[in-house]
Amino acid sequence: MRNLPQTVIQESLVEPQVIEAFARDAQAIVGADQISVNPADLLANSRDYWPVNNIWMIEGALPALPQLVAWPGSADEVSALLRLADKLKIPVTPYGEGSGALGGAIPLKGGISLDLKRMNRLLEIDEESLLATVESGLNGALYEESLNRAGYTGGHIPQSLSCSSVGGWLACRAAGQFSTRYGKIEDIAVSLQAVLPDGTIFSGRSVPRAATGPRLDHLFIGSEGIFGVITSATLRIWPLPEKRHLASYTFADLKGALECVRLIMRSGARPAVVRLYDAQETGNHFPELGDQRCVLILLIEGAEKIVAAEAEVIKELALAAGAIDSGPDHVEHWLEKRFNISVASMLFQKGAVLDTIEVSTNWHNAHNTYLAMQNALLAVEGTILASGHYSHVYPDGAGLYMTTVGFPGANKLKFYKEIWQAAMEACLAQGTAISHHHGIGLHRGLWMREEHGSGMEVLEKVKKALDPEGIMNPGKLGLGEVGLWQK
Amino acid sequence: MAEVNMEQLLNCALCPNMCRCDCPVLQALGREKVAPAGKARFAAMYKQNHLELDSEVIEAIANCLGCRGCTVRCPFPELNLCDELLFARTPDKEGRQGHLASWEPYLANLKKYSSPYGQKSFAGGRADRGADILYFNGCTALANHPQSLAAVEKLFQKAGVSYQLINEDCCGYPAETWGDPELARSLAAENYRKFVESGAKILVTSCPECWLVFTERYSGWGFGLPLEIMAAPSYFLGLVNDGLLKPSAIGQRTLSYHDPCIWARSAKITQEPRQLLKSIPGVNIKEPLAAGEQTHCCGGGRMFQLSFPKTAEAIARRRLAEFPSGAAIVTACPFCREGLSQDNQTVLDLLELLAESCTK
Ligand SMILES: Cc1cc2nc3c(=O)[nH]c(=O)nc-3n(C[C@H](O)[C@H](O)[C@H](O)COP(=O)(O)OP(=O)(O)OC[C@H]3O[C@@H](n4cnc5c(N)ncnc54)[C@H](O)[C@@H]3O)c2cc1C
Ligand code: SF4
Ligand code: SF4
Repeated sequence: MRNLPQTVIQESLVEPQVIEAFARDAQAIVGADQISVNPADLLANSRDYWPVNNIWMIEGALPALPQLVAWPGSADEVSALLRLADKLKIPVTPYGEGSGALGGAIPLKGGISLDLKRMNRLLEIDEESLLATVESGLNGALYEESLNRAGYTGGHIPQSLSCSSVGGWLACRAAGQFSTRYGKIEDIAVSLQAVLPDGTIFSGRSVPRAATGPRLDHLFIGSEGIFGVITSATLRIWPLPEKRHLASYTFADLKGALECVRLIMRSGARPAVVRLYDAQETGNHFPELGDQRCVLILLIEGAEKIVAAEAEVIKELALAAGAIDSGPDHVEHWLEKRFNISVASMLFQKGAVLDTIEVSTNWHNAHNTYLAMQNALLAVEGTILASGHYSHVYPDGAGLYMTTVGFPGANKLKFYKEIWQAAMEACLAQGTAISHHHGIGLHRGLWMREEHGSGMEVLEKVKKALDPEGIMNPGKLGLGEVGLWQK
Repeated sequence: MAEVNMEQLLNCALCPNMCRCDCPVLQALGREKVAPAGKARFAAMYKQNHLELDSEVIEAIANCLGCRGCTVRCPFPELNLCDELLFARTPDKEGRQGHLASWEPYLANLKKYSSPYGQKSFAGGRADRGADILYFNGCTALANHPQSLAAVEKLFQKAGVSYQLINEDCCGYPAETWGDPELARSLAAENYRKFVESGAKILVTSCPECWLVFTERYSGWGFGLPLEIMAAPSYFLGLVNDGLLKPSAIGQRTLSYHDPCIWARSAKITQEPRQLLKSIPGVNIKEPLAAGEQTHCCGGGRMFQLSFPKTAEAIARRRLAEFPSGAAIVTACPFCREGLSQDNQTVLDLLELLAESCTK
């Protein structure tokens, strides 16, 4: 193809003859039609949903291109491909469905984009032990729909359900909207199969608990492709709930509402969905409630009697905290609108820069983190909105999800970097974890050392042991020389 | 033709592919370049002079069935992605865009025979001059399932309804699909002339793609049709409801209806075919996964069976896996019928089944 768009953060490329050598041998592994150097394929696998990619796309640029895309069909094929790439020292970036929000799937150093989409089978449903074994490239909505048809749910419903893969969930330590009852993906996953750069196929065992040394499966959950490629997993499933109860309450202030939510968790009630919005988001998402109060959305599901008891306990606690019962309709509204992200595309077109920044906080910091992040974001010149909601709630704390929008004029990237710097500094100062579920990818690598301290050395040592040539997703998770892309 | 609504195209290009699970081409091929927003990104970057088109990119963009599966979850009600992508297959003045070389033979057939299938579609036949009803069969059914016309004629005759048939030219949809809008217009002009000359008041067609182009394109091409356009399932249901057709039992049958995407999502015809089936005594209906407006394309949309036969076959196989076992598949579109007839699978035609039950 003539005139490929310019790449903005390509750190390096592999010598073309090395790629050619890989292609020759890879054909024998996966078949000639399962690898491509066709520019249309390279362009398509050049990006994910890191908002910067949208800014660049409007300007006519791309982050970085792979030099070859490969579509393996089995763990054995992944193993052979990785061994070959390792021998030739070619970078490999796993690619699920490209919905990652932090640039994780961008092939920063060229090489191979290893696309898992062909590995998309639901292999087994074990109805007795409530487990499903699934290949990592399966689309989330197709997975959930297959389970639903059999009378089950996977309990993992992220907003990106329809545009993300099971492997992507595991790689990013994702969270679904129903995580208070069903857990995040690290709670849902029982075991997984992953392939290391030297071709070793690790297969975890799907037993409920075991005192057989460290559970190595967990090494790969959240590893974002830097240790190897997740090829399949066994996940917990649940029978479709017998009963669903919807409830909402409004509170005069966020702090009081948060305290009530903490007490709900402490009571032992486990609604599936617990979402607490600040006053501004209450007004934006539920205009009929106005923008002076904070709404708490609850969805409780499971066996009818348990649901009724939980609903009662929650109601008592909410009313005791001075909340107003605002009924089920707002939850219906949320259920209807929860996948609609049209406003993002429209704002990008209008020249806005926007992002969502999710962090994980214990209860004692939950409100302060919100205030600190909001203040920090609003202090950046160009910001017009910094609002938040607690999107996932646990007995020990909550996931806080901040949304920020700005109209910075010409230098969008500069503004983007500033809002992130401000938000991450505020978050770290509170002792809050820098991500709750989007993960680290490329961008958040900048703050990984502050997040982990000496823990980063351990991560580096594990990386060195599993991937001595450093071929797996280089430049991600804060390893290597971070921030080159910023220059 | 093929004007682009840049705002809508960009809305899509900036979307994280929220509909990717509903795109049959993406699901069958597993290639990121044919993802709905992926295609929109190519198209948008080209339109903004950031990317040049070559045959590989055009092929990726053209990998769209026009099935509107992506509209099911799409948050932009105004966006019709398949139409926004059409421009790329149509050569512009500078010759920067255009059809793929592999489509040439079909365009040549259209020019020579007024049908993509290398044979004249239909030469007249029985016609009651002056009848209010004009029936349009479409070239795909005539080429692949010529018996379908005989079944429809039996239904008209049984109901005692006068009808006309014309010497059909291709409706223009395939020519548009293969990037020759001039040819599409000239075919439309011929059909328009014949429709008007017939004096008929109602144009009934059993082909969803003909229906779509008559209802959504002809007036834009300058041929606003002075007839009511009716989908055959709705029209014949009317005859059953009016008591003019009386289906009788053809044995105990369990049937599963495949909703053709245009009938279901564009014409919103999902109940009529089921009511027709239920009007046949002894018929029991079992739904496939993805029924009604949620249907999945058979792989035959936008002439894929000719343009991209391997992809069409792969999509059909995925669709077939969604049908319940022990039920015979029935549909109401010549492309679906052809596409789903894989691996000796029998696919029944709604109107042929009705004709069988009404003429027993
Ligand atoms: C609109 C929208 C809403 C979102 N909502 C949520 C939400 O509610 N909850 C949530 O947790 N996230 C959410 N996300 C973020 C994103 O969807 C998740 O991070 C998702 O898990 C990524 O999956 P993917 O298949 O798209 O992965 P990709 O973007 O393709 O990849 C993500 C990272 O994982 C690696 N990777 C992918 N597959 C594998 C594999 N098989 N083995 C090893 N590494 C792999 C990639 O190399 C990359 O580093 C949202 C994103 C969008 C755009
Ligand atoms: S068609 Fe709609 S849902 Fe699909 S990618 Fe485009 S904007 Fe998103
Ligand atoms: S119209 Fe059908 S084939 Fe085309 S992008 Fe939409 S879902 Fe895919």
